[in-house]
Amino acid sequence: MTLERTFHIVLGLMRTSVRFPARTSLEQILDTLAADRDFQELVTRWERMPARPARYAAFPEWLEGRITAALRRRGINELYSHQAAALESTHAGRHTVVVTPTASGKTLCYNLPVLDAIAKDPSARALYIFPTKALSQDQLAELERESTDIDIELKTYTYDGDTPPAVRAAIRSAGHVVITNPDMLHTGILPHHTKWVKLFENLRFVVLDELHTYRGVFGSHVANVLRRLRRICEFYGSHPVFICTSATIANPEELARRHVEDDVVLIDESGAPRGEKVLVFVNPPVVNRNLGVRRSALLTGRDIAATLLASGVQTIAFARSRVETELLLTYLRSRFPQPQWPQDLIRGYRGGYLPSERRAIERGLRDGSVRGVVSTNALELGIDIGALQAAVLLGYPGTVASTWQQMGRAGRREDLSAAFLVATSSPIDQYVVQHPEYVLDRSPEAGLVNPDNLHVLVHHLKCAAFEIPFEQRERFGTEDTPGVLAYLDEQGVLHEAGGKYHWSDQAFPAETTSLRTATNDNVVIVDTTGPAPRTVGSEHHDGKAKVIGEIDRFAAQVLLHEQAIYLHESKQFQVERLDWDNAKAYVREVKVDYYTQAELAVRIRVIDEFDRRSASRGFDLAHGEVLVSTLTTIFKKLTMYTHENVGWGKIHLPEQELQTTSFWCSLPERVVAGWPRERIEIALAGLGNLLHGLAPLLLMCDPHDLGLAVEVRSPHTERPTIYLFDMTPGGIGFAERLFSSAPVLFDRAREHLASCGCQTGCPSCVGPAYALGAEVRESVAHLLSLA
Amino acid sequence: MNDLRARIAEIIARDRARHARAEGADSAGARGGSPRRASAPSAPVLSSLGHDAEARVASSEERTAAEKRPPAAAFEVREQRIALDDLGLEVVGRGACDALLLAHLGLKGEPPRDWTDILFLDTETTGLAGGTGTYVFLIGLAHIANGELVLRQHLLRDISAENEFVEHLKRELEPYRACASYNGKTFDIPLLRTRFVMAIRSELTVDESHLDLLHPARRLWKDRFGSTTLRQLEDSILDDGRVADIPGSCIPDAYFHYLRRGDEAIIAPVITHNARDVISLVRIADRVAGAVLDARTGNAPAHAPASFALARVFERTGELEAAFGCYESAYYDGDNELRVRLALPYARALERRGERDRAVQMLETLLALGLGSVRWREQVESRLRRLARRKAMKKAGPRADPAFANATA
Repeated sequence: MTLERTFHIVLGLMRTSVRFPARTSLEQILDTLAADRDFQELVTRWERMPARPARYAAFPEWLEGRITAALRRRGINELYSHQAAALESTHAGRHTVVVTPTASGKTLCYNLPVLDAIAKDPSARALYIFPTKALSQDQLAELERESTDIDIELKTYTYDGDTPPAVRAAIRSAGHVVITNPDMLHTGILPHHTKWVKLFENLRFVVLDELHTYRGVFGSHVANVLRRLRRICEFYGSHPVFICTSATIANPEELARRHVEDDVVLIDESGAPRGEKVLVFVNPPVVNRNLGVRRSALLTGRDIAATLLASGVQTIAFARSRVETELLLTYLRSRFPQPQWPQDLIRGYRGGYLPSERRAIERGLRDGSVRGVVSTNALELGIDIGALQAAVLLGYPGTVASTWQQMGRAGRREDLSAAFLVATSSPIDQYVVQHPEYVLDRSPEAGLVNPDNLHVLVHHLKCAAFEIPFEQRERFGTEDTPGVLAYLDEQGVLHEAGGKYHWSDQAFPAETTSLRTATNDNVVIVDTTGPAPRTVGSEHHDGKAKVIGEIDRFAAQVLLHEQAIYLHESKQFQVERLDWDNAKAYVREVKVDYYTQAELAVRIRVIDEFDRRSASRGFDLAHGEVLVSTLTTIFKKLTMYTHENVGWGKIHLPEQELQTTSFWCSLPERVVAGWPRERIEIALAGLGNLLHGLAPLLLMCDPHDLGLAVEVRSPHTERPTIYLFDMTPGGIGFAERLFSSAPVLFDRAREHLASCGCQTGCPSCVGPAYALGAEVRESVAHLLSLA
Repeated sequence: MNDLRARIAEIIARDRARHARAEGADSAGARGGSPRRASAPSAPVLSSLGHDAEARVASSEERTAAEKRPPAAAFEVREQRIALDDLGLEVVGRGACDALLLAHLGLKGEPPRDWTDILFLDTETTGLAGGTGTYVFLIGLAHIANGELVLRQHLLRDISAENEFVEHLKRELEPYRACASYNGKTFDIPLLRTRFVMAIRSELTVDESHLDLLHPARRLWKDRFGSTTLRQLEDSILDDGRVADIPGSCIPDAYFHYLRRGDEAIIAPVITHNARDVISLVRIADRVAGAVLDARTGNAPAHAPASFALARVFERTGELEAAFGCYESAYYDGDNELRVRLALPYARALERRGERDRAVQMLETLLALGLGSVRWREQVESRLRRLARRKAMKKAGPRADPAFANATA
């Protein structure tokens, strides 16, 4: 060994010790925090969840010898009980849904049955469906690792929009395991099933990972895509077993049954060991008692994260928006200046980073070279980043399920882990932090889907008819199938002949339906900074523009307007030019001490009223087509750290428009006669919140699928009006459904309000009184008593 | 039930509106009128062949009667025979068909031995998008027998009888070693393959040896006419443009109407259109073959880029003499841009013939004219150096013995 090399190793050792001067354990940090009086004043709940030992089960006897041998070589001599249960259940040919925490070895629950089947019969095939392309890539690597160990010939491919055309043919005929996403299945695989004969004839398993993401409108679409998949399997004579995995939700079995449309075995008792876990609910201190203003969650969260990181505790911090992610990253990095601290100590992670950048961060987290990461909910899904020691949540993530999912990112099998939820001053956060049992005791939200939503169903029925002609007696979800088919025949979309309905249209139906509401229309961010020219004649300093990220148009109007300070990997960029038509934002790196915040105005205009009726006592209900416009008009410049307003500017961007369907209800003038304008505003906002909160239960959709707007005097109805609109362009029928079942909605609203334990209004009913106004609950109750 | 119908009606209407908007934006009204309104041109399109082809359009009841036709005539076969002379064919169907020539016609796979082994085909479908919901409802198949082109058109009259139809097509296709098409490699053949799997779960037999005339046609005429659609070539090469032809975009809807109404008048123009396509395909194949044979006998195409393209194919098939002739012709007739493109292969061809001085002179001239990219000029300079070395070597040694040259190198 050369002297130089020895030196580097010593230096490396020194650096390690420099990196974490006080290698305090998490245990010690928690003890210190527990003893810290100032900190304890902020803590509303300190929950210690005891460790749980592992429960094991032997390998099933039928499991291929090469697989057990390979597992033993890796030091795995037994399975966790839930893995063994999943193996037995799938071996018996039963559809199975596995619901166990993060890092409990969920992937083996489906990889083992699949590998076993292929080892015994090389013609066997499996289809893996992941919600995103990133997760597919992750799984591909994992499966390849496992099959190499086991020494069976396994051809695994991802098949998605990124797959080069040249290899597609090979994948179709030779791929044992095809990894894809619902969108590709919908437009790329099912309508071309004759090219996949080998796959569909021999399909033994379908894996649906992250089942909980298939809910709401998206889930309803996916459930129909799966109906089409099963129809095609039937055509080729295969009967695959579905293996689903899901994060903790209230109704995994029901959700799986709606997707698989058959009996499903639920496995939800994890046999994986869990280390002790501490959950801390933190409410930042009130800094202005008069205004009820609290210290920013960002700063409080930063202090906690910095304390953890300084002691070498690998930590993930979840922020709720992209801007917050970047701000927190900047704040944290300033606490760990170079060169004393390594450059990559803390990384940011969010949508808008390039895939390669993200992969590097994931690797760094797994191998421990990245000690901290600040992320949006992008890391909430099952991307493999290993298990971290601590999680800091800046704000309540919006649902109980997400909260557990994010807190679950910290948690190792053996060691202690900790999760901190730091509340913002928003009403919902304040409610949660003051009632921690809301998260701790309440069962998480149910994953709801409605595959028989007629709008969704008809789209997929058309796709299904394109794939294979319909038999007259066939049922596609609804019992009304023959009626729908007959109607489509009359319309000329299908043609009935010889007892079958044939597709008779030139269009390719899958391409006219998108499974997701999100648009693919992204704005690309181009960094024009470029290195300063140093030497003449060198080739690499021609100031070549570099793409540093992309953001969807809706977010772009807020983040990338001209003069906006855009933060990327905690570097500041100023937007010099936004080429809206060509979807490009040109930015240049700057160093300023402020950030920008754009104000978004939402307007709603009724285009066409489809139907209207008077409910009791003068309440008017209607539904129809509306145009929702969002416009950014000005932005504020706020100082870093103190968030003081130090200036503003105008934004010149075209309005963003969403044409959709909406339900609206307007109040009779006399009900609010004599009320001051503020009281009407408060009452409308409160009633809007209440209806918007309860409507998803009625519609079985995700709350985000529904938008809310209120107008004290609507130009259309000329009265105080509440709008609940469909967030999907064109609408998928929620408005009409609300219109027809409005009485039920109002009944539920009345019941819910009456049974709510709060005095004057809280986030779980009409919204918090301290934010809206003291009379909110009483005003809403008054309105409802009339409706 | 009525409620349900009303709701679906609304969904369909919205879909249509959305679709129409998207279409409108795309084509900006290029496609006049609603595609549902298929016009039915009635002018006889074959008459321009200078031969009363209609007279021979017999629905060939006698021939097909032998086959087991389903009682409701789920599909039908129409046959017509046209004398090769009437089609003006000079190469196709005449004499032997050599493998090298077929390579020019775009053949991949094993070459057939005789023209009669080749089946010319063209399909009419219910859409262009492909996928399992696009049906092949009409296929025109033509082969050569006894100095005649036998065109058999197979029409699926009842879409529910697709299984029998495809089974029948399978029998029709099986005897042939190879098929020829216009853009069939990417369109007709994949669609047929899909129909074979859908209807009878069988593989297609003909796709291994396939002559796709689109590619040779592109080589010869793309540069000259800009586009090489069959329509364009009928105009420019066969000098026989179509009048009163049903636009391709109207064909699917014409068929859907025909399915509903059973009115033969609706489908007639589509059948004529298909017949015309197959016949043009054969005639274009003949023109391509003719151009190749001419080039072999020293008459390279008059259009320089076509000559150049042919030269490259001749090189691939090992017909070096013909290749050289085409290079020469392309070089003398071409513009400077083309000369730059062909200079290096042309120089190699000259070198092969021992005309090193000409090669050097040609390359030096192009350099002196300041033509070509920096990279190209570097390549040319290096080639010139190599040529100069060879020349020096040749002068130094008494004999240009490659073994000797190698020994000294």
